[in-house]
Amino acid sequence: METTVFRAENVVLALEGVTRRFPGVTALNRVDLEIRKNEILGLVGENGAGKSVLTKIMIGIYPPDEGRVLLNGREVVLKGTSDASQKGIGAVFQDGSLIPNLSVTENLFLCHENGFLQFGTLSRRKMAAEARRLLAQMNIDIDVDLPVASLTPAAKQMVEVARVLWLSEKYGASNPIVILDEPTTVLNDSERDTLFDILKKLKSRTSIIFISHRLQEVLENCDRIVVLKDGQNVTDMPTKGVEISEVEKLMVGHEFSGDRFREVEQAAPRESVVFKVEQIGKVGAFEPLSFEVHEGEIVSLVGLVGSGKEQLCRCIAGLDKYDSGSVIVDGKAPLNGSSSSAVHNGVGHVPIERRVEGLALNLTVADNINYLVLDKLKRAGVISSRMEKEHAEKWVAECLVKTPSIKSACGGLSGGNQQKVILSKWLSSDVRLLILDHPTRGVDIGAKDEVYRLIRKFAKSGVAMIVMCDTLEEDIGLANRLLVMRDRRLIGELDASAGRKPSPQELIKLIV
Amino acid sequence: MEEKSPDAKQLDARKAVMRVVGRLKPIHLTIALILLVGLAMAVGNREFLSLYNINTILTFGAILLIAALGQMFAILIGGIDLSVGGTISLISVMFVFLVHSVGYWAYPLCLATGLAIGYLNGVILTRVKIPSFIATLGTGGIITSLAYLVSPRPIDAPPEDYGYFDIVNGSLLGIGNVFIFGLVTFILLLTFLRVTRTGRNIYYVGSNIKMAWMSGTDIVETRNVAFVLCGVCAALVGIVISGVRYGGDPVVGTSYILNSIAAVVVGGTALTGGVGGVVSVLFGTLFLSLLDNGMNVVGIDQYFQQAILGAMVIFGVAVTFDRSKTPIVK
Amino acid sequence: MKQVESIADASPVHKLGPGAAGEVAKRWFSRSGTVAQIISLAIVIAIFAVGTQGKNLSWANVQVVLSLAAIPAILAVGLHLTIVIGGIDLSIQGTVALCAVFVGLLSRSRFTTNDVGLWILPISIAIGTVCGLFTGILHTKLRIPSFIATLGISWVLYGVAVYINRAMIIGLLDHRIQNFINDKPLGIANVALVALVIAIIVQFFEDRTRAGRYLYAIGGDEALAHQLGVKVDRIKILAFAIAGCLYGLGAVLLVNRLGSATSRAGLNLLFPVITAIAVGGVALTGGIGGAKNALLGTLILTVLNNGMVLMAVNPYAQTAVNGVVLIVAVALTLDRKKLGFIK
Repeated sequence: METTVFRAENVVLALEGVTRRFPGVTALNRVDLEIRKNEILGLVGENGAGKSVLTKIMIGIYPPDEGRVLLNGREVVLKGTSDASQKGIGAVFQDGSLIPNLSVTENLFLCHENGFLQFGTLSRRKMAAEARRLLAQMNIDIDVDLPVASLTPAAKQMVEVARVLWLSEKYGASNPIVILDEPTTVLNDSERDTLFDILKKLKSRTSIIFISHRLQEVLENCDRIVVLKDGQNVTDMPTKGVEISEVEKLMVGHEFSGDRFREVEQAAPRESVVFKVEQIGKVGAFEPLSFEVHEGEIVSLVGLVGSGKEQLCRCIAGLDKYDSGSVIVDGKAPLNGSSSSAVHNGVGHVPIERRVEGLALNLTVADNINYLVLDKLKRAGVISSRMEKEHAEKWVAECLVKTPSIKSACGGLSGGNQQKVILSKWLSSDVRLLILDHPTRGVDIGAKDEVYRLIRKFAKSGVAMIVMCDTLEEDIGLANRLLVMRDRRLIGELDASAGRKPSPQELIKLIV
Repeated sequence: MEEKSPDAKQLDARKAVMRVVGRLKPIHLTIALILLVGLAMAVGNREFLSLYNINTILTFGAILLIAALGQMFAILIGGIDLSVGGTISLISVMFVFLVHSVGYWAYPLCLATGLAIGYLNGVILTRVKIPSFIATLGTGGIITSLAYLVSPRPIDAPPEDYGYFDIVNGSLLGIGNVFIFGLVTFILLLTFLRVTRTGRNIYYVGSNIKMAWMSGTDIVETRNVAFVLCGVCAALVGIVISGVRYGGDPVVGTSYILNSIAAVVVGGTALTGGVGGVVSVLFGTLFLSLLDNGMNVVGIDQYFQQAILGAMVIFGVAVTFDRSKTPIVK
Repeated sequence: MKQVESIADASPVHKLGPGAAGEVAKRWFSRSGTVAQIISLAIVIAIFAVGTQGKNLSWANVQVVLSLAAIPAILAVGLHLTIVIGGIDLSIQGTVALCAVFVGLLSRSRFTTNDVGLWILPISIAIGTVCGLFTGILHTKLRIPSFIATLGISWVLYGVAVYINRAMIIGLLDHRIQNFINDKPLGIANVALVALVIAIIVQFFEDRTRAGRYLYAIGGDEALAHQLGVKVDRIKILAFAIAGCLYGLGAVLLVNRLGSATSRAGLNLLFPVITAIAVGGVALTGGIGGAKNALLGTLILTVLNNGMVLMAVNPYAQTAVNGVVLIVAVALTLDRKKLGFIK
């Protein structure tokens, strides 16, 4: 009885039985969570485990479908980020929520300047003084008149933290909570140390939720750790004496039933090397690395966000320039930084944001599928609409694209079918190496299986692929081989032949 | 996917209304309007259906069609060309002088000038990376001033040169050459857009330029081509106008800016790009031509007509603008 | 101020930012300041001092320049607000035409018995403001890009103006405003002083009021500003309304300076005003600038054109030069990162 009372007094924010669903997936499943006074709570979990959904619920972007949120012991319904910040809960995201051309002072008090008015106009002197006081309280020295765009990411984060604290002060929230989403990815070592210094000082008047995938950091700097897996809170313990491996084990290790990734269809790659990078490097993105991909091989690039894998793929696809090394496709070297050269040499790219980057939404299914091969659908030098029709129909059938007609606009198709259209586009051209960036993101279960089927089929016909997937299981399941990147380096390679697949635990040790 | 904020819900409601209005595809609306206006005019005014009047409609329409087809290319790739007025004016005066000095060479030289202007617009957009509406505003001003430099006042061609203008003024099998120019331009451009790779690329680039870039299309070349075609069409209009009037005028092109944009937008081509085509522009032009003639016959002040066109452009854009492409409308 | 008022112990104060980019950015953002413009102004004056053998530096000429720059400056201060929020206002010609026509209609002249005397000033301002409000509402509620909304409105207003006016040129008989414009009680033409005062007021509005700062927030990152609670639509409409208000004022002054009201008063305004704004360092992408920039830009452009006139450069060539200046100025101030793919 006494412990409960003690605990209740100590708890600032409590989530009880919080569930949140989206079409096709339950993002959070009966999550119970407590944030206590004067603590730094670490929140970890794989991509897709539910961390960002949880954060958004805490700051009021959307409500839970089931369960309740209690603030200082009383149930609350948060009606949006303004409401949440006035109640003392704020988040600092990676992208930053600061207006670049406004000064630090202006950003701190944006839309809440009514305390600084003098005859209806703003007193810049008062605002600047208050800004300095806030930052000094956090033991930080930043020139408050500078436009925010000129600050380092570390400084920007601190300004945002200051803003959260100020808002809770202004609106009388007694126990502010600051949520930091992956703050250390953009910081160098000394900035990181500074950050933890500041956080430890802040602990005395704020609770902090620290979201990170760097388990070492979390265990060293947080008081307690919560592990999310598949939308559930699987553990909630003090960090003292906890080993990384324990946490890793809790993060992964799903039981997957059956042949989700069509492993039986996984074929051994052919002998010949179709794609090679030699000592390719980009300053600030990834260190020089080399690897090869064989015909018909599926190579999975695994690593955390910030490991450099996304930038590597962009350079291979010609979307960004690399600073050193070379790319060789079928013995030819595409121009550095030229997407058209990459495409003409056989490198294709299925982007992660399919609506924005992958399709012409208002053009027809046929238009999108035929995009790359229009030059071949010509008769007497002009594009033949009959050949277009045949080509489109053939691929719609082959890839099982569900569409009312090949003349329907792509914008009307479901996510899965849109993805199949994009795959058809590339696979019907002479692509030699296809980069698949999260190929099943936003695709429902049934369509996922069809996508895997297509991937297997085309691997068999000789197309080489580099994939980056949403989950480790998918990466492992699809790949013939895994390449592991960490902190901008290629640190390892694992064989993933059918029947001899590594487990996610083995993999996560290398990644983290 | 996420629950929507009140603003998003309001937007949805607005979208739903627009969808109902927009499901009457603008082109259907235009056809309906054409029939309506045509009927009203025919009933209201005996002279409307006279051969002379129909000929006037068709001639004006053909000239506007060429200008509108040019503007269509700029709009299809998601931009706009505000310099067409200047180009038309410049060519109309240039043509008179050139005909006097180099005879029939004036035709290809003027077309080449249009090409150069279009290319300049394209380059400013693709290399200097200035948005087309401000780039063409600038070049339009420069070109208009060039037109004034060539001839500050309207200028008539001396009678001995009349022969050169008759390519424009003659007729073939009873149909005016102007009309034939329009028809031929229409067919050529229709074919270009349908059966050539570059023509198709214009649609892809207009629909989703990022995707086109990632799929290996040369987006610089495609956009340059679009603006070149716009410039050439404007030059052709300048030549035809010059021919019809046997003279040039440094302000003759100004009204074509609004008219060409109106014809394209009212016909259903969205400013966001990638939607629409020659047939829509044809209907838009036809409608505008009818409207223009009808308003003249009824006696509506020419400048008030401009006001009506301006309102139609706003309405047309409001209905066809693809707001899912740009969540923020600047 | 490194005074540590920390609740806890005296722990080390961490100095953060600016980064290496900081110094560059500081300079870049101080384009919002006017150092570069003042230097450019000096350079242009110097070039023409040489070219005109000092004639451009005579007090009489300086007077002419200030006088000439005044009305475009007022218009530019208005228009730049719409650019700061990331849009543009192409309706200036139509609005000025409409206001000018009403001046003709309501002031004492041979053609009408109407005579509202000095009331024409607030009336014209009101008409301009209403036009601006309308434009702002059209842009924000119908969600039409500002360039086409304002372009369309310009045509509409211009058409209405000419329709009302029927292309007449109405000579004004009441010279009080004209005299005020040209009088020089303080040594400089009144109209120039009016322009200066207006620029100061608008600059104050931009720097010291909440609405003014929100303009810049919207220009910096509209989506984010909206998320943080800025009432974006309302502020945008305000920007267009103020612009319209200043167009109305400019129209009255313009008409009175010319001595006659005609719908053609609006012609050939768009180009020089936008060029002046761009030259002043106001970025087309928004978020950077100020009334002082618009004012200085107008001054620079006027000095440039004045110099060309003094050197007897062909007037049409001058327009061409202005066109080039526009493109160059825009190219230099555009923030290409914001625009992504440019269409």
